[in-house]
Amino acid sequence: MVTAVKFDNVSRRFDTDVAVNGIDLKIREGEFFAMLGPSGSGKTTCLRLISGIDRPSAGHIEIFGVRSENIPPNRRPINTVFQDYALFPHLKVLDNVAYGLLVKGVAKNDRYQAAEQLLELVKLKGYGNRMPAQLSGGQRQRVALARALINQPRVLLLDEPLGALDLKLREQMQEELKALQQSLGITFVFVTHDQGEALSMSDRIAIINEGALEQVGTPQEIYQTPRTRFVAEFVGSSNVLSPRLSVRCGAGSNWSSLRPEEVKLGVPGAGRADGTLQSVRYLGASNYVTVMLEEDQLAVLVSTTDALPAIGSKVSVNWDSDAQHIMDDE
Amino acid sequence: MQQTIHPKGTDSGARFADIFWKKPGLLIFLFLLPPLLWLGVIYLGSLFTLLLHSFFSIDEFSGLIRYEFTLKTYAELLSPANFDVILRTILMACAVTVAAAVIAFPIAYYASRYANPKIKALFYLGVMLPLWSSYLVKIYAWKLILAKQGIINWMVEGTGATFLLNSVLALPVIGGNSLAVSYIGTFIVLVYVWLPFMILPIQAALERIPDSLLDASGDLGAAPQQTFKLVVLPLALPGVIAGSIFTFSLTMGDYIVPQIIGSSRRFIGQAVYAHQGTAGNIPLAAAFAVVPIAVMVIYLYLAKKRGAFDAL
Repeated sequence: MVTAVKFDNVSRRFDTDVAVNGIDLKIREGEFFAMLGPSGSGKTTCLRLISGIDRPSAGHIEIFGVRSENIPPNRRPINTVFQDYALFPHLKVLDNVAYGLLVKGVAKNDRYQAAEQLLELVKLKGYGNRMPAQLSGGQRQRVALARALINQPRVLLLDEPLGALDLKLREQMQEELKALQQSLGITFVFVTHDQGEALSMSDRIAIINEGALEQVGTPQEIYQTPRTRFVAEFVGSSNVLSPRLSVRCGAGSNWSSLRPEEVKLGVPGAGRADGTLQSVRYLGASNYVTVMLEEDQLAVLVSTTDALPAIGSKVSVNWDSDAQHIMDDE
Repeated sequence: MQQTIHPKGTDSGARFADIFWKKPGLLIFLFLLPPLLWLGVIYLGSLFTLLLHSFFSIDEFSGLIRYEFTLKTYAELLSPANFDVILRTILMACAVTVAAAVIAFPIAYYASRYANPKIKALFYLGVMLPLWSSYLVKIYAWKLILAKQGIINWMVEGTGATFLLNSVLALPVIGGNSLAVSYIGTFIVLVYVWLPFMILPIQAALERIPDSLLDASGDLGAAPQQTFKLVVLPLALPGVIAGSIFTFSLTMGDYIVPQIIGSSRRFIGQAVYAHQGTAGNIPLAAAFAVVPIAVMVIYLYLAKKRGAFDAL
C-alpha cells in the first residue's frame, strides 16, 4: 500500500510553544483519515505542515516518498479546504473555483468548463456568477470544496470544514463528503474536534493531544480499545477505571477503560460491587445513569425499555472482563 | 428584595432615556443635526455659491462682477495661459500620486503583514509624527535642505556625484538652478507632505486581508508574485484609491508648497489665491476651483467603472 503522507518525528515550535511534538505517522493513499483532538491540540498545524503553508522545526515530511521541506505549497499535489473557507471575496464563484487553473495558465474557456463541472459535482450548478458574500455557509463550504478539487489533488486536506454548519446540514455534508471521497478515490485528511464525525466518516483516526499522537487506528479500535486515558475520555464517554477501583471490583490492578453500555445494573450483592444510583439523564433511546462506588463514579448506559431503580437506591454493577481494556498509563 | 416596576421614569434623566428608547430615530437625528448643518448648509452652501460665481463674469472696464449667467469665464479658463496652469497642476498631482503610491505600498505592506505590535506602534508614530509639526515649518525646512547651499548639495559634492545632480537639474522644464527652485523640488516636497495620507489607507486595506486568503492562493498553486497580483493588489485597491483621492486632491489644491519651493510658474491653488485676492476676479477664481472637483468626479467615476470598489 502506497504511503501518501509520512511524518517522520515531526515537531513544530513557535517561540516557547510546542504545537507539534515528535509525531510519527503514515497516511495511506486513498484512505479517509481523520485527525481528532481538542482545539489547540496541534491538528491544524499538522495540516499546515502537510500543505506546506508551514514548515516543521524538526523532523521531515514525505509526500508520496518525496522529502518535502523545501517544496513550496504551490508545487505540492495537495489542496486544502480551509476552516473559514478563505474564498476570494473579489472573485465570483466561478472564478474562485477556476483559480487553480488560472494560475496554471489554462485558457479561460477550458477553466470555466472545468469549474462548471465541479460546481455541478458539489450541487451548485448555476451559482457561478454570484459573489461569495451572496452565499450561505453551506454553499460557501461547497465552493471551497470545488475550488480545492479543481487541480485534481492527490491529497485533499479538510480543516474542520463542517464546524460552522448547523447540525442537519453537517450530517448531510458528512455523507456527501464520504461519498465524494469514495467516488474520487483520493486521500482525504480531515481535521475535526467532533469525535462522532471522526468515527462515522473515517477509515482511520489519529488522536492528537497537546501536539503528540495518542493513538492511531480504525474507528472500532479507537472506540473499543483506547490505548490511553485521554483517548478513552475524549472519544465517546468511556469510564476510566483507576487501579484502586479495579482492585475493589476484582478487575485487575491497571488503568483500564470500560464503555458505559457494557455495564449492567443489578440488585445489591449480585455484581462485582455495590453502589448508590446517583443521577439519571434521559437521552431518548437510553438513560445515562451514574453510580457512586464510594468515592468513584461509574457511568452506565441503560436502555429505556429496561426498568430503572430509583435515585438513591442501592444497586450492583457488573461487566464481562472482556469489555474492560487495559491502557498504557501507569 | 424584588425589583419594582416604574412605568414612568423616576427622574428626568430616566424619562429622557425612555423617550429615546421609544423613538430611536430621534436620538440619531439629534446626533446628526450639527454635522448635517455644518456640512450640508455651511460647506455645501458655500461650495454651491462658489460654483454659481463661476457662471458669472467680470466687467473688464469697471472690474465689477456682472451677475448674469455666462460661460465666458470658462472660455477664459481655456485660454493658453490659464490652461497651462491646469495642465501643470494635473500632471504634478498625477506624478505625486503615483510616486506616493509606489513608496507607500511596501511600507504599508510591511507594517500590516510582518510588523509585530511594538514595531507597528513605532510605524504609526513614524507615519503620523510629520503630521504633528507645522506644515510651514516643514516646508521651509525642505527649502533649506534642497537649496544650493543645502545638505543634499553638500552630500552630493562629498560623494563626487555633482555631475549627476547637475545633469538632472539641466533637464528642460523639470530642472532649474537648484532643487529648491525646480519642479523636482516641488515634487519631492509634495510627495513628502502627502505620503502619510497614502500609507494609512493602504495599510488599513492590507490589514483587512485575512492570511488564509494568501495561504489559499499558494495552496491552489499560485506563486507568490501571482498571489500578489491576483489577490493582494485587487483587495488593496480600494485603499490605494482612497489614498490617491487624498494625495491627488491635496496636491491639486495646495498653493503653499509651489509658492515656496519650485519655479515661479503657477499652480491652480496659486491661481485661485491670486484671482480672488488682489485681482478681485472671483468668477475666474471660482472657475479654477471647479477644475479639481471636476477632475475628482471623473477620476472616481472611472475608478468605480473599472471595479476598484468591488472588494469593499
